Amino acid sequence: MKELRALTPEQFERAAAKLRNPPPGSKIEAAKEFGIDLSLLVEQLRLTPAERGARLQEATRVLEPLRGAARRRS
Amino acid sequence: MEFETAIQALCDAGVDFVVIGGLSATLHGSAAITFDLDIFYARTQSNLRRIVAALEPYHPRPREFPPGLPFVWDEATVRNGSMLTLHTDAGDVDLLAEVAGLDSFDAVKATAIEVQAFGRRICILDLPSLIRAKRAAGRPKDLLALPELESLNDAGGG
Repeated sequence: MKELRALTPEQFERAAAKLRNPPPGSKIEAAKEFGIDLSLLVEQLRLTPAERGARLQEATRVLEPLRGAARRRS
Repeated sequence: MEFETAIQALCDAGVDFVVIGGLSATLHGSAAITFDLDIFYARTQSNLRRIVAALEPYHPRPREFPPGLPFVWDEATVRNGSMLTLHTDAGDVDLLAEVAGLDSFDAVKATAIEVQAFGRRICILDLPSLIRAKRAAGRPKDLLALPELESLNDAGGG
């Protein structure tokens, strides 16, 4: 089974270059035009998968109470 | 959502599952935030038993289920629904035995990717399968996720 690991420095630089300067006509360029903040993806790709999971966990702990409060008000 | 608690409970009970949905997108590099855990599971009798045992301590109940209404959490409940959307003490957990856009569990497991996260080794959907599932689901929130996932796929991230 394949394993998802942190990108090597070379893999990261290649991916980051494509995201910072999307090739014309690419899906990445279309995403940028659609409004996706590609710099956030670059920052995510700097992390290991475990760190991405931990960040999501932190974010949900902060945001979930706010989400609940918003639901109760609507 | 306590992802770590839920993931560890499922892993420690020996549940055969693949993480799909928003959490698998996050582990591949998505910046979107998800508030639930979606799992695709093997529908064998022994696996149903393990799912029931894993989640029982977290008092699962269908979401939007009226509070006073009795609900029995057992193998028959899991077996009789191909999709259960549960609220548990660890957060919202969706159990799926079938997923639009994806093949059987065994076929999906064969192309799944192993990853270390939340203190365990878990299986998640590979990016092309995740994109296929989001496209097949077809809900606005799934379609909105596609540009980001396709960017990650084309950039060679994830």
